[in-house]
Amino acid sequence: MAEYSVVGKSPIRLDALDKVTGEAKYCTDIKVPGMLYAKVLRSPYPHARIISIDTSKAEALPGVRAVVTGKDAPEKRYGGYIRDQHALCKFIVRHVGDAVAGVAADTLEIAERAVDLIDVKYEQLPAVYDLEEAWGTSPPAVVHPDLPKYEKFVAQGLYIHLDNDRPNVAHHHRVYHGDVEKGFKEADHIFESKFVVPRIQHVPFEPHICIIKPESNGSLTIWAGRQSIFRIKGHFCAAFNLPPSKVRVISSFYVGGGFGNKAMLRAEPVIALLAMKTKRPVRHAFTRDEMYTAGGTRIPMVVFIKDGVKKDGTIVAREMRVLLGIGGYADSGVLVCRNSSFGAIGTYKVPNMKLDSYAVYNNEPVVTPFRGFGSSQWIFAIESHMDMMAEKLGMDAVELRRKNVQREGDENGNGEIAHSHGARECLDKVAEYLEWGKPPAKAEGPWRRGKGLAIGNKYSVAPTSAMAIVRFWEDGTVEVRHNADEIGQGVNTAMAQIAVEELGGSMDKTIVRWGDTDTDSYFPQGSTSQRTTYQLGNAVYLAAQDAKRQIFELAAPKLKAKPEDLAIKAGKVFIKSDPSKSINATDIFTADRPIPPGQFGEYVPKYGEIIGRGMWVQNYAPENPDNGQIDPALARKGLRLVSFYGHSCQGAEVAVNTETGEVKLLKLGAASDMGFPINPKMCEQQMESGLIQGIGSALWEEVILDKGVVLNPNLRDYKIPDAVNMPKNENFKTFMTPAPHKDGPYGAKGCGETQMTPSAAVIANAVYNAVGVRIKQIPLTRERILKALKEREKSK
Amino acid sequence: MKHTLALKVNGQDYEVSIDPWRTLAWVLREEVGMTGVKMACDTGNCGSCTVLIDGKAVKSCIMLALQAAGKEVTTIEGLATAKGLHPLQQAFIDHFAVQCGFCTPGMILKAKAILDENPNPTEEEIREGLSGNLCRCTGYVKIVEAIMVARDQMKAAKTGKK
Repeated sequence: MAEYSVVGKSPIRLDALDKVTGEAKYCTDIKVPGMLYAKVLRSPYPHARIISIDTSKAEALPGVRAVVTGKDAPEKRYGGYIRDQHALCKFIVRHVGDAVAGVAADTLEIAERAVDLIDVKYEQLPAVYDLEEAWGTSPPAVVHPDLPKYEKFVAQGLYIHLDNDRPNVAHHHRVYHGDVEKGFKEADHIFESKFVVPRIQHVPFEPHICIIKPESNGSLTIWAGRQSIFRIKGHFCAAFNLPPSKVRVISSFYVGGGFGNKAMLRAEPVIALLAMKTKRPVRHAFTRDEMYTAGGTRIPMVVFIKDGVKKDGTIVAREMRVLLGIGGYADSGVLVCRNSSFGAIGTYKVPNMKLDSYAVYNNEPVVTPFRGFGSSQWIFAIESHMDMMAEKLGMDAVELRRKNVQREGDENGNGEIAHSHGARECLDKVAEYLEWGKPPAKAEGPWRRGKGLAIGNKYSVAPTSAMAIVRFWEDGTVEVRHNADEIGQGVNTAMAQIAVEELGGSMDKTIVRWGDTDTDSYFPQGSTSQRTTYQLGNAVYLAAQDAKRQIFELAAPKLKAKPEDLAIKAGKVFIKSDPSKSINATDIFTADRPIPPGQFGEYVPKYGEIIGRGMWVQNYAPENPDNGQIDPALARKGLRLVSFYGHSCQGAEVAVNTETGEVKLLKLGAASDMGFPINPKMCEQQMESGLIQGIGSALWEEVILDKGVVLNPNLRDYKIPDAVNMPKNENFKTFMTPAPHKDGPYGAKGCGETQMTPSAAVIANAVYNAVGVRIKQIPLTRERILKALKEREKSK
Repeated sequence: MKHTLALKVNGQDYEVSIDPWRTLAWVLREEVGMTGVKMACDTGNCGSCTVLIDGKAVKSCIMLALQAAGKEVTTIEGLATAKGLHPLQQAFIDHFAVQCGFCTPGMILKAKAILDENPNPTEEEIREGLSGNLCRCTGYVKIVEAIMVARDQMKAAKTGKK
């Protein structure tokens, strides 16, 4: 492997200093002169018809500047993939928390009081909650009777496919590979099971916040702490029928956590109505409570799995039927319906596969992307099932996985040829760390010990593209301009590392500008789908090459050499064959007249400034929407349906208290095949982060609903992992087992989402190993474990 | 009716006129301009709004501002001195204990309170001390590591002085 100066090392994060001193600015810290404060009135009912809305008392309250209702909203519905939502409800509310009215006032407190003064008369309608009921052919309620008439469009590889018999199905995704019936006939054993995964919330510490300002030229400026500002802009333009030049989205500050939660429009359409009505900037921030009811959650799923295996453990057929509860609106739920199937495709060789997933509307809160984009839910079922089958077959769970795991060159369920597949190496690493095969320590009192592991995978979606700009300054500073979102993953640092590596600069002399759709470069899908290192990394690399080409062109006459014979390192441009012949890279700059350097700035001949532009477009093989298969001829050429797959393995040793049901985490480990670690310490951050978030989902986290009402919308009743829950650092290890990717910058690919996908099954498998009860519904709360232990006692 | 509140923040005197029901977190952010005080839950569960009051860690989102009258408040903006960053701040940078950064100010101030109270805490004691300060990004590994490194440096610096 080539020797690098900056990539592959762990220079400190460029954002760290500002974040430890309080200098770091987030959307929550932005103030725009003349700004009003908004509050949204939300439906208390899961399904109801709006009979009337009386806003007169609210409007009369001093300090109230505008009230908007569904009458003010455009007739046209908006939505990322199915246009099923009005900016404010016009006739029907479809979940508790649906937006009914908005108020802008001089202070937030006035806006809150005004919202309470709005009198809405509702007629309650029958509602549907249970996923299997909602999926049925005659559900108790149809959430969108006009669904067949709604506008739908193809985006990110999704072709909406309704089911004529099932009125709440917003998309039925199908992957049919080989001949599953034939596969089951060949099998020696057939295993079937059902798993349930509840709704969880991302809990980004900064809630959704936006400020929208109408400009005098008729355009709108939106400051919003989001992920993927071009998607926000695109969806917003479509919602209000505005051309691209009339909407500017700014996120040029830090975002207080994303995890997928901030990838779609939330309150922006309502706040835009208020801004347009008042002609003033309007700010809105979700309360923590609202984050659970209207802020978007992970998609609850019911997963049916049926596997056919040979006596020796070879999987010959897999059939899965998955119901996704997408709540009152499609949002990204329909895309998750398609993409979560990759969770069943990216790990094992399965020659015959039939996957049917259904995005199902019900009268529950809206869902939105969540780290893993649905793969985690499928993988909880698959990886639990692997352990269950291993036991029935009398095989070791690691051996069963080794036998079936894909290797480089294997064909997967979409007909792609696997590349950069490090699952096996991740598995070996974690098995070694857990001392797999060695029995866990003996029981102590009520505590029983067990070990568990699981493999995860997460694709990065295609088609996709990225653009970036790299500027080389007259003082040698390297600047990167990009439009990914700094949600905490460290994109600014990684991108600066790439540009600095290529331009022979120094991490001390970097500038990164980001987050403005008007001034920075196009990055249509932003920091989602763990794409930035790979996609944007490629664009930055190419932009740096473009800048380098300009530098060499201008340096060549000074060195009496050809541009192609030059190289750049440590601030010097030199002749490759004779490095003693060199100039300072900054010597290509000149001033108009002999003045002290820098006094009036300097420029380069011909170009003025050294500005490199880079564009990366992912090669892509589309699928047949009827069976999820790509053209075998394209597959043989190395083309793929996704950009890449990341793989991971995680393991845990736990102690389970048979009297209380408590699970103690004694030892945790995670391995990732991130291709090439651009910044190894930041890769560790992602591995630790994904595992702990996955463990939260495995042990504690569940948004509890009663007839569509969230019962635990706060951090007291919705528990996320804390420092005490986790094992000591000596018992929490991460491992890098890179599987270089031929198309990634330096071989790199993403790893942030992959890390959460196996965690829930890890814990379920370890708990089973400890106490012998198989729990097929997360979280594995004390109550569920105790109940399972009691039921087992009874059945003995 | 508005009340006048005099308080000392990061060594500077401030006088603000506020409604009596305002929380300290709100006043520090909106009236004093210390936006390093972050608010994530508003119910005292996450610890992002942690500040030091007369050296003790307090969740400022569940404390009325008027209760801080006459007291010395330290926010993250007041932790570094002319000599440079506090060892905790440096350790958080060097050991990658920062991701999105929203919990970081509260986390560092809580860590300072832990170390001020007990200059030599064990890892378990540090974790116990942090139990009211949540982080959604990091997994706590690097935060705990940074605090242990700062602990050792601060101890060494003290011994060196003697």
